Amino acid sequence: MIKVEGLSKQFKVHKKRPGLRGSISSLFNREYIIKDAIKNIDLEIKQGEILGLIGSNGAGKTTLTKILSGIIHPTSGKVSVLGFDPWERDNRYRQQMSLIMGQKAQLWWDLPAADGFLLLKEIYQIPEAEFKKRLAYLSESLGIEKELNVQVRKLSLGERMKVELIAALLHQPKVVFLDEPTIGLDLSAQKAVRRFIKEYRKEFNPIMILTSHYMDDIEDLCDRIIIMKEGEFVYDGGIKQVHQKYAQSKLVTAQAAPTIDASEEARKFPKSLGEIEINDNGKIIVRSPREKVMEAASYLIHYLKIEDLNISEEEIGDVIEHIMSKGKEA
Amino acid sequence: MSRYLRLYAHFLRFSFSKAMEFRVDFFFRVVMDIFFYAVQFAFFHIIYLHTPILAGWDLEQMRVFIVSYIFIDALHMTVFSTNCWWLPIYINRGDLDYYLVKPVSTLFFLSLKDFAANSFLNLLIAGSLVVWALTNYPAPLEPIKVVIYLLLLINGTFLYFLLNLIFLLAVFWTQSPRGYGDLFFSVSHVMERPDRIYKGVVRKVFIFLLPFAVMASFPARFLMEDNQWHLLGVIFGVTTCFFLLVQVIWRLGLRNYSSASS
Repeated sequence: MIKVEGLSKQFKVHKKRPGLRGSISSLFNREYIIKDAIKNIDLEIKQGEILGLIGSNGAGKTTLTKILSGIIHPTSGKVSVLGFDPWERDNRYRQQMSLIMGQKAQLWWDLPAADGFLLLKEIYQIPEAEFKKRLAYLSESLGIEKELNVQVRKLSLGERMKVELIAALLHQPKVVFLDEPTIGLDLSAQKAVRRFIKEYRKEFNPIMILTSHYMDDIEDLCDRIIIMKEGEFVYDGGIKQVHQKYAQSKLVTAQAAPTIDASEEARKFPKSLGEIEINDNGKIIVRSPREKVMEAASYLIHYLKIEDLNISEEEIGDVIEHIMSKGKEA
Repeated sequence: MSRYLRLYAHFLRFSFSKAMEFRVDFFFRVVMDIFFYAVQFAFFHIIYLHTPILAGWDLEQMRVFIVSYIFIDALHMTVFSTNCWWLPIYINRGDLDYYLVKPVSTLFFLSLKDFAANSFLNLLIAGSLVVWALTNYPAPLEPIKVVIYLLLLINGTFLYFLLNLIFLLAVFWTQSPRGYGDLFFSVSHVMERPDRIYKGVVRKVFIFLLPFAVMASFPARFLMEDNQWHLLGVIFGVTTCFFLLVQVIWRLGLRNYSSASS
């Protein structure tokens, strides 16, 4: 269980004027800017929930993750994770949490992952039999049994992420922070990591907090998302409700018969029914206001020769991008 | 406690298996350090060509002092120096994250995780020099004092490391990549001179503020001179104060740690 009340974090950043002159003058007379990384947020996450944190760079996602994991100290507000204040860094808390950062490695670079796991066994005091059982389960689920004895630096990026996941989960944490776990991975490795996270959740039911720039990660794994912008939550709720609340339009796609004159038809399409795009292969895409979508579809059926028609929600990524750019007014 | 010993056993194993890959470095370090030791002896031998007594010690006594700080230097190089090299870099780059979330003392982890296995041979050489200087010492040495002296050298190494840490932890505030590590290295040569050459305020500074005199000179004096038991009180008092001071600075530093964003 995670509970956050009125949390804020400010960073003091030294403002440097450009050039050598600026550097010299800043030696004597230094200006600082206070940057609000997180502004007065409240949050509650229940056991077993998986929450997706979304936002553009600098929105405050990583800062929030690092406050919750006890790495950085908040400026004000109350934080409780599993009943502990993370900043106290009580061993009983650290024993139950884990952090995975796609951009930083925790395993020793020059040694095989298996050696790193032995060290973690000691750090987390995992009994021998239990350790063997967990390692077998994790390495089998990730399909990486053979690579455990290869030096970490000789592994591919995907394999490295997999051994990092094992390292982070060997002690069966109750709270797992995943900060861009699939960054830089190819599509099949991304899928494998996602499939594994799903299975793992089903089996052990930890709280998971996932930040990712890949919408596929979020859509596939999270029931609830928080969209952050400039240190504030602009959306906190179910991923399915994002559409209902924010997607003003739906997509009507159709395949036109080869004989039509695309530009002429596009010109004739009534503007009140939405925006139309017809590409060279005759694929029609109409972005239509929700209340006009049936009219738009029937227009296409009646006035254009079409072979196929489909009505769908906008891509979630597009909706979220819209919310991120507009903030709370979206 | 035994858990920390087991952790350290892992660190040793990792370090040795890594070091075996770099043979050239292994031999280069030995040659470099033997040269350093030779220079130390030569320096004092030249001084003793001009005077029979320096800071109350004759040449034989000075040899015991020289091997004392050589041993401290070698032990520090082997146990702590690689960690001291990385620590400010980790802080500056925001790489403390993974260490901070582990349920073990972060300072223990960061201070000891890299054992410089490639300096281990130097430590053996320095140890042999201590044995040589003590066995060739012209007067009899009390066995109990020899044992305490050896423990004091280990304590001196620890104190040297604590002081080094204080200079390095400045990186939490300065954001410069090396902290004041280079400054520490320059001042640390004070350890290579007998404490009695310093007088007045300077002497107090090198005992209590920058306690280089306490590291090698006091243990050597305790071993060779009579009625020096009071030095033990100073040595342990200063070490304890610096140990606590490092904890305080570390905690304050972490409050200031912002961690580079990923």
